[in-house]
Amino acid sequence: MIRTSISLFVLMLFTLLAAPALVLAADTVCIECHGGQPGPLGEPVGQWRTSVHAENGISCHECHGGDPTDYAMAMSPDKGFIGAPEYADVPDFCGRCHVGVADAYKGGAHGQALEAGAAQCVVCHGNHAIQRANLDLINEEACSQCHSYERAALIRLSLVETDTMINTTEADLERLYRLGFAVDEMEDGLFNQRNSFHRIFHGVDVERVRAETADVQAEVGKISNQVAEIDTTIQERKLWGSAVLGLFILAGVIFLLVRKAYEEEERG
Amino acid sequence: MQPIKMLVDFVDTRLGVRDLYNKELHGYLLPRKVNAWYTLGAVLLVLFKIQIITGILLLMFYVPDSEKAFASVQAIMNDVPYGWLFRMLHAVGANVIMIALLLHMLSVLFMSSYKGRREFTWLTGFTILNLTMGLCLTGYLLPWSQLSFWATTVATDAAGAIPVIGDYLVEFLRGGATVGNQTLGRFFALHVVGMPLILLGLIGVHLFCVKRRGISAPPFGEDYKASEPLPFFEHEKHKDGIPFFPNYFVKDAAVICFFIAFMLAIIFYAPGLFFPESAFQPADPFLTPPHIKPEWYFLWAYQTLKIFPSEIIGLGVQGAFMTFLALLPFIDRSPERRPGKRPLFITCYVLTILVFVAISVWGHYS
Repeated sequence: MIRTSISLFVLMLFTLLAAPALVLAADTVCIECHGGQPGPLGEPVGQWRTSVHAENGISCHECHGGDPTDYAMAMSPDKGFIGAPEYADVPDFCGRCHVGVADAYKGGAHGQALEAGAAQCVVCHGNHAIQRANLDLINEEACSQCHSYERAALIRLSLVETDTMINTTEADLERLYRLGFAVDEMEDGLFNQRNSFHRIFHGVDVERVRAETADVQAEVGKISNQVAEIDTTIQERKLWGSAVLGLFILAGVIFLLVRKAYEEEERG
Repeated sequence: MQPIKMLVDFVDTRLGVRDLYNKELHGYLLPRKVNAWYTLGAVLLVLFKIQIITGILLLMFYVPDSEKAFASVQAIMNDVPYGWLFRMLHAVGANVIMIALLLHMLSVLFMSSYKGRREFTWLTGFTILNLTMGLCLTGYLLPWSQLSFWATTVATDAAGAIPVIGDYLVEFLRGGATVGNQTLGRFFALHVVGMPLILLGLIGVHLFCVKRRGISAPPFGEDYKASEPLPFFEHEKHKDGIPFFPNYFVKDAAVICFFIAFMLAIIFYAPGLFFPESAFQPADPFLTPPHIKPEWYFLWAYQTLKIFPSEIIGLGVQGAFMTFLALLPFIDRSPERRPGKRPLFITCYVLTILVFVAISVWGHYS
């Protein structure tokens, strides 16, 4: 009986990992209320769940204000509730977080013509289903809704190389991160360069884009060089590791051959 | 050669090492038909030694404090010379030990080597398996990553399902209401001192049992006969057997080399095999990562708990199975050991393995 009890206790200890995973932290009151509503009042919740904001834990109240923990005060102006901004107020609305991009936008052709109805943030990026920005946002179909595509095409062409470089480096850093390498500093550097890069083209000035992307490329290149150094280290480790691995396999085979000799001796 | 002979003579006249060699190594005879599965004990001894050595090296740089643990592991991986190698050997080694332990247990079961008054050998071996899983569980928390934190939170939370004492047990395991610095402290102490000391003692007892009772001959071949054990103690001798050293030792050495090569292959060619993304993120008590899964050897238990409507039923089923396995030598009293003559046992054996693999795969993809 005692042995059974001990076995059970030991089992309990060792099967502790077996419980189902905890669910994510409770949703905010915004999501609890709007998530169940039909039509325009509920749709934003589903759209937001697919967004880059949701992916990074940016919830409703962080843009729209209000108290996300209190049903009664959730939409109270006293708690900073803003609701949906007017068309011309959107750049300032988004610019509270995306400061550099907002400044660049305001100084550019779109920002200068905002009052006349020029494109602002959500025209290109969407609102609740907002995705991680990429060059595909600059396309003939979208830009041609307001103006001809030539200038946008030139800007896009100037951006491709840098954008590819940033994306490749980002993928490399992710790969090194999954191998246990400390890449925090490099990631911070790349994050800054990506922000600078985004700032540049939100001004929609072709000459400025061409001039300033070179600086971004130089900085991203430094990070790429660090990645290359780490890759060289990985290759060296793999080389030495393969040699040691080969030695162990060779030693194993030799031991087996010796054993075979002993087996013949044992039979004879 | 003269200086070596002089040295051996010097030691022999004081400790009788030649006599020891003749009796315990060359004179220690193993069954003539001993097969490769019998090498797994030696493989495990070497793997445990690697764990101790790499563990001591990691201990020199690891800081068991929730504020510093993650950074110290990062430093081991990036700044300490060869720290990455010691850590990978330790982490991958733990998984390879589990593979070797399971193979060892399965081979003992297949050949019914637990029979013939070998209950103590089986029980100590089974406890070693469970204790090793405990070492894996406690070691899992130490890097203080998201995976460590949440796996331990979920794991300790499951103990709450036990009636009456559940809540107390959870608090006892965590050292508080939630997983925190106090949990890290007690898991660290258990992982580096408590459990290894018990493990070393158990390995000693296990080896003593093996040596004292004698190695069981493989139940194969025409000359094998099933026989009832005698009612008194008997050391199973193999008079026409082969010397352990050097005849069988070289086979031990070969399989040990292959296991180490397997471990190195994972370290250099698939280093991320046992490390999900959350293993590289520092612990954040306010952010539960999605898809937290236990290590592969706990997946069967993880999924079993999800199959049943309540956790206590799942825990009960697991407890019943593990208790049955622990007491198998007391339940299975037939002297027959030949797999071909035990169709019911072998059918259950194969089906159980298939069910375990299927539940584990289900757990992985659920």
